[in-house]
Amino acid sequence: MIHKTSPEIGGMGHSIKRKEDLRFIQGKGNYVDDVHLPGMVYGQMVRSPYAHARLKSINTEKAKKLPGVLAVITGEDLAKANLAWMPTLSHDKQMVLATGKVLFQSQEVAFVVAEDRYTAADAAELVEVEYEELPVLVDPHKALEPGAPLLREDREQKDNHIFHWEVGDRQATEQVFQNAPVKASVKAFFPRCHPAPLETCGCVADFSRATGRLTVYMTSQAPHAHRTVFALVGGIPENNIRVISPDIGGGFGNKVPVYPGYVCSIVASLTLGVPVKWIETRSENLQSTGFARDYHMTAEIAADRDGKMQALRVKTLADHGAFNAAAQPTKFPAGLFSICTGSYDYPTAFCEVDGVYTNKAPGGIAYRCSFRVTEAAYLIERAVDVLALDLKMDPAELRRKNFIPPEKFPYKSSLGWTYDSGNYEPAMNIALEKIGYKDLRKEQEEKRKKGELMGIGISSFTEIVGAGPAHSFDILGIKMFDSCEIRIHPTGKAMARMGTKSQGQGHETTYAQIVAQELGIPAADVTIEEGDTDTAPYGLGTYASRSTPTSGAATAVAARKIRDKAKKIAAYLLECNENDLEWEPGKFYVKGSPSKSKTIQDIAFAAYTNIPPGLEAGLEAVDYYDPPNLTFPFGTYVCVVDIDKGTGEVKVRRFVAVDDCGNIINPMIVEGQIHGGLTEGLAIAFMQQIDYDESGNIQGGSFQDYLLPTAVETPHWETDKTCTPSPHHPFGAKGVGESPNVGSPAAFVNAVVDALSHLGVKHIDMPIAPWKVWNILKEKGVAA
Amino acid sequence: MALKIEKTFTVQEPVEKVWALLSDPRKVATCVPGAQITDQVDEKTYKGAIKVKVGPSVTDYTGEVRILRLDPQNHEIEILGKGQDVRGRGSASMKMTGKLRALPDGGTEVASVSEINVVGILAQMGSRVITEVSNIMFGEFVKNFQARLQRPLDAPEGQATVAEAQPISATSLAWEATKGLFHRKS
Repeated sequence: MIHKTSPEIGGMGHSIKRKEDLRFIQGKGNYVDDVHLPGMVYGQMVRSPYAHARLKSINTEKAKKLPGVLAVITGEDLAKANLAWMPTLSHDKQMVLATGKVLFQSQEVAFVVAEDRYTAADAAELVEVEYEELPVLVDPHKALEPGAPLLREDREQKDNHIFHWEVGDRQATEQVFQNAPVKASVKAFFPRCHPAPLETCGCVADFSRATGRLTVYMTSQAPHAHRTVFALVGGIPENNIRVISPDIGGGFGNKVPVYPGYVCSIVASLTLGVPVKWIETRSENLQSTGFARDYHMTAEIAADRDGKMQALRVKTLADHGAFNAAAQPTKFPAGLFSICTGSYDYPTAFCEVDGVYTNKAPGGIAYRCSFRVTEAAYLIERAVDVLALDLKMDPAELRRKNFIPPEKFPYKSSLGWTYDSGNYEPAMNIALEKIGYKDLRKEQEEKRKKGELMGIGISSFTEIVGAGPAHSFDILGIKMFDSCEIRIHPTGKAMARMGTKSQGQGHETTYAQIVAQELGIPAADVTIEEGDTDTAPYGLGTYASRSTPTSGAATAVAARKIRDKAKKIAAYLLECNENDLEWEPGKFYVKGSPSKSKTIQDIAFAAYTNIPPGLEAGLEAVDYYDPPNLTFPFGTYVCVVDIDKGTGEVKVRRFVAVDDCGNIINPMIVEGQIHGGLTEGLAIAFMQQIDYDESGNIQGGSFQDYLLPTAVETPHWETDKTCTPSPHHPFGAKGVGESPNVGSPAAFVNAVVDALSHLGVKHIDMPIAPWKVWNILKEKGVAA
Repeated sequence: MALKIEKTFTVQEPVEKVWALLSDPRKVATCVPGAQITDQVDEKTYKGAIKVKVGPSVTDYTGEVRILRLDPQNHEIEILGKGQDVRGRGSASMKMTGKLRALPDGGTEVASVSEINVVGILAQMGSRVITEVSNIMFGEFVKNFQARLQRPLDAPEGQATVAEAQPISATSLAWEATKGLFHRKS
């Protein structure tokens, strides 16, 4: 149990209001596009209209002649500096500006720099590019067929196959399947979707010829990692690069990769010696920056007749687009997809994934997700429902029967993960009770008699977050630790900096609460700063729900180092032995005489004014925390839907989310995260897809076609929790940001399928748009 | 993005006169809004251009028009047009089959099937917009075609045609497309 501090201190467990909101709600946030530097000029991308075409010529003459245009950079120009290609996080490379050919619609072809934004946009229209169209591959299955057009001519391997990866025991799994009395299978496609953060990507690159320093203000979820990438790729000494991530308007993984726009802005600033700003439009963001998912998956479960699961077999085709730019730091090409055994105790499992190139935008980012966990959780939760259907068993009962029992934790999964802690049944029980599961089943039975359609969907997901331990992760060889540096000022106020970067998660509040919890300094007196590589300690950034598991842990450990020193100072001030001191948040007192005490503020002042002999002045500490394991948050979501037989429209009547993310820092922020993630999950399940037609034209390239949920579509979310602390995290927290996005899609889809299961429907692919449901109703002869 | 558009309309002129117009790409082109024939390559091949404006996006296609099949007995023609936008914003192709049928009242029925393929910026607008654009263009074409029939076929092409080489208006198009969307919903 976490000791609860007073509301004045505002440590863990207090729903204190978000400190950063003070500026946000006044419109005083400072985003990249708010950065205005003297002499700043503007960049604009010229993009390919074709999904696959040979570049015959680029004529920049007309564009260059337009008054106000300063430069037009092409791939050939970059090639001279060996910058036409750049490495990706997945050991592939991608074009910065196209040379030779283009491989997806909207690919970057040239970069125009002009004195103002409008001139840059006009000049981009004047760049004449001659293309010769080539056959287009949008279907990853076809990309693997013999004789398929070769997309990546730059590779030695002359086909479109990127990788084959497998994990688990193939032979043992085959054997179980051969003898299993029951086999259930589902073929589920997790469509290509996009995080569509409120703020698109952009940067201001500012190279000073006077100092030789490059400052890049950018929409970065990982400023330190990006600095290192710029140093390694661009050859600029790392001490001469400063990356500043100011306020970020949502990231969700979209702001992890390095994009061509950043590189071109830097090149332009180096060339011109002035600051260069580049900000994407909404369509550019949707069409060219990191998409998510696009996994064609099959899951098969072998089970006993009474529903005990024996083995799981998963086969997946992963569409990575034109370049394998999957922004993931794991050592496995399909990330953490092998968490696909989920919350269930499978004695045997086997999982294989093949990655494929197609003529689509590159990416494969972890959209509010730890590197393919969302795909995995969706697949297993769908497959379990199909098994329940095949066995004519209640899906809750089937889950209950197969949950990993609490006494088995730490649990070693058959695909190799060690789950730190879990207790799945209580979370499901609360969710079922809260929603009134038994009554709903009765209601459903009644409604079916009347020909009405309602469904109940359950998802009992297990997450894997907090990237990550060195055995499974690195970026360019750099371990996935994260950091915190705390300085206590003489007046007892504090400043703390981290290697992570908030994009709206509320770090300025939650990290301050950790410091408050550990040192008793009120959270209001702790300033948190992230995002400036000149001042913050090195870290790998914020994504994959890793901030609390890594930097959060580092904050606690650094605070404890400070407390150790504070104790020495307190003993000196109280003229007693260190061992005679007791701590309560905010002060040390002498055992047995609580009136003899020194507050942390007294101690801080003494650290600068009255230092014990032999002790260094000051009160500060830094910690780099390399997590010993990942953390495994979990929960059960239950969704009730009603279907309109006239329109095929699905209405979410109720949604109960019971989450377990271990010990909670700020319950209000956790609830907010869950609301946001569920809303995104709803959009993925019902509304969103970045689709391509057969010529490779993007059919979800603007908000006209790629729909965002508003208050109108969003149902009321009901949340609850259980608490199973992580045994290895310094204060038992697990991370929560992505759970609702990971866990909810299956709950929505399971509910819709459940509503139609008596008609013989076993699966519907997302997004479940009304037309799709209506077609099914019509086919089954029940459309009104 | 591929789509197929089938259209049938009637004109109050005898079939032979309509055929004389339909089988001459130079003349037909003057009826297509925003289009013009710029050169003749051989007996069956012409060079041409068409300007299409949808919202803020103007596409200037230049390319070729080729007569694939000409059947004067049955009054059937098959034409293939292919073009690329001059500023590299995409390409389009259209294969059109036209067939005439004499009507008992002395008029002629024109039945056409067009298979259109659009690649590039325009295609991102999706089939609901492209179909609407095609509908509007076709409506304009029918008006021009009928007007052209009113003049002697050997008269020089020029001012008299309704919408020669003018891009279709963005505002009216957006309006028509919007109306179209609402109509289809009902």
